[in-house]
Amino acid sequence: MRVNPSLTSRLRIGFLVLFALLLLVSLLGVGRLFQVRVDYEDDITRFFQLELESERLRSAFILEQAAARPPIGQRLPSQAELNRASANFAQAVDRAHDLTGDEADLSTNLSQLVANENAWRQSVAQPLVGGNVPKPGVEQRLTRAVTNSGDALATAARDARDNSREDARTETRNTTLLVAAGLAGALLAALILFSGLINSMRAPLGRLVEGARRLAGGDLRTRVEIGGPVEIATLGRAFNEMANALERDARERDRVERMKDDFVLTVSHELRTPVTVVKGFAEMLTAQRQSLNSRQYEAAEVIAESSAQLQKMINDLLDLARSDAGKLRIEPKPTPVRPLAQRVGRQMRPHFEEKNQRFTVTVEKDLPDVEADADRVAQVLANLLTNANKYAPDGAQVRMSATRVGDEVEFAVSDNGPGLGEEELDHVFDRFWRAQSGETQEVGGTGLGLAIAKSLVELHGGAISATSTQGEGATFRFVLPIAKDGRPTRTEPASRTTAGAAT
Amino acid sequence: MTRLLVADDSETVLLMLQRRLEIEGYDVVTATDGLEALERLREAGSQERPDVILLDAMMPNMSGTEVLEQLREQGSEIPVLMISAHLDAQEPDRMRSLGASDCIPKPFEWDDLIGKIEELAGDSSPDGDSN
Repeated sequence: MRVNPSLTSRLRIGFLVLFALLLLVSLLGVGRLFQVRVDYEDDITRFFQLELESERLRSAFILEQAAARPPIGQRLPSQAELNRASANFAQAVDRAHDLTGDEADLSTNLSQLVANENAWRQSVAQPLVGGNVPKPGVEQRLTRAVTNSGDALATAARDARDNSREDARTETRNTTLLVAAGLAGALLAALILFSGLINSMRAPLGRLVEGARRLAGGDLRTRVEIGGPVEIATLGRAFNEMANALERDARERDRVERMKDDFVLTVSHELRTPVTVVKGFAEMLTAQRQSLNSRQYEAAEVIAESSAQLQKMINDLLDLARSDAGKLRIEPKPTPVRPLAQRVGRQMRPHFEEKNQRFTVTVEKDLPDVEADADRVAQVLANLLTNANKYAPDGAQVRMSATRVGDEVEFAVSDNGPGLGEEELDHVFDRFWRAQSGETQEVGGTGLGLAIAKSLVELHGGAISATSTQGEGATFRFVLPIAKDGRPTRTEPASRTTAGAAT
Repeated sequence: MTRLLVADDSETVLLMLQRRLEIEGYDVVTATDGLEALERLREAGSQERPDVILLDAMMPNMSGTEVLEQLREQGSEIPVLMISAHLDAQEPDRMRSLGASDCIPKPFEWDDLIGKIEELAGDSSPDGDSN
């Protein structure tokens, strides 16, 4: 897309051109009107004078007639008198001639008058002065011709005056219209210029707005096409630079994140082999109790226990790292709930017995199969039960139950231990978070169990939650979807496994 | 006495497995990679053929899966227990499709391992006798 000239420079040029146009049109219009007025006044004066002059010509002709035919009984016609009257007439003709200007009509009329007066002088005045009376018909005709052409000149002058007024009006009107048209044209040009400017801004601004929205929506590859006036183009470039920076940062963050995930995966993986060896040999030693003295056996047992703990932690870390890297996978298939619950119950029972806690497992009758990865669900239940076992005091009660709720099976693990505060409930599924109350400070663990439980339940498409009343215990619930072709497990009386104090 | 061939690239793991399996009463032959595992099988011949082979899936030079593939190509029917890092849920199925008799994820509980070995050894003994 082309980058147009700067908005400000275009506006400046636009305003200058508009100003110049308006000034030019106004000056031309006013000048023209002034000229029309001046011409009109000149013409009016001239034609008025011509009218006067035509009256004088009439008078001069009357004097000529008087010279050629003086009143009877006063004197004789005189050549000198006639010459003087003719000269007087000729002077009037000269003045009139000056006043006709380039008006052909007036010139013709004047020429006609001069010709008629000449004819009259030749055929009437000169003979009269010479004593020859012309024929009455001839004299009357020629005299009337002169008088008539004199009248015609006067009329023509008056007409010319009227025409001139008419012309001046027309000219004034036309000029006014022209000026108005010029001004309108200039304003139209300004309008086109401004709308052009606005249009040239609209598309690139629209792209910027859309780009900003896309960027805000998380599409960091968003870039806008650079275009429009320089200012908008600059804004577009700045936008793209910002998007580049954001994308670079996001890439860097992703890279660091991936590095961290890889690091944790690698480290956990590398830790696993030596821990496996230590645990294996320690277990081997504890299995040969008879060949060890009691201190050796004690040491072997501590090594075995500690390495087992270490192995559990490494596995937890690996699970979380895989979960973060999107590599934690499950293999859900229709899974009967009862054997699963019993298996976890058996596995956990010794821990409850150790603390004299009463442990019950309740599975609803005719519970359908869940769509789940049995090992992973067992891991979730074991994590929840381990927590209850650890945080509830000696002699407390811990229940595990499975019931149908709508299209899901709800698993619940509850204890009557110290429970959790409201603020603690908000963080209970955060990784590395551990309850900090004085009584539970000595409890070991990595703080990863519930975070892993949450990841695993969510991988199954389920949800996990915790409720608690402080001082009365805590309950953790999670739901798993019922398998599509899940048939209810064999009908058995609901079993109750009790452990610890109850036995 | 049940004879086992165990291949793992970590010598300490290998030693630990050997000692513990010997305590459990097995006759154990070890290999640190796939090539060595095949070499041991050749040496053993049909007389001292192992009853169960334990293969670590990931090993340098020749991995456990490659050994497994080669064995099945050669028509060997010795039960193979794959030991894998179990990086995803599909891995056991993949191993079985390659011809593994069973699969155990790392890290494992000792009793689980012994249980699986016993199961495979029990399956294979009658075959081994008839051959």
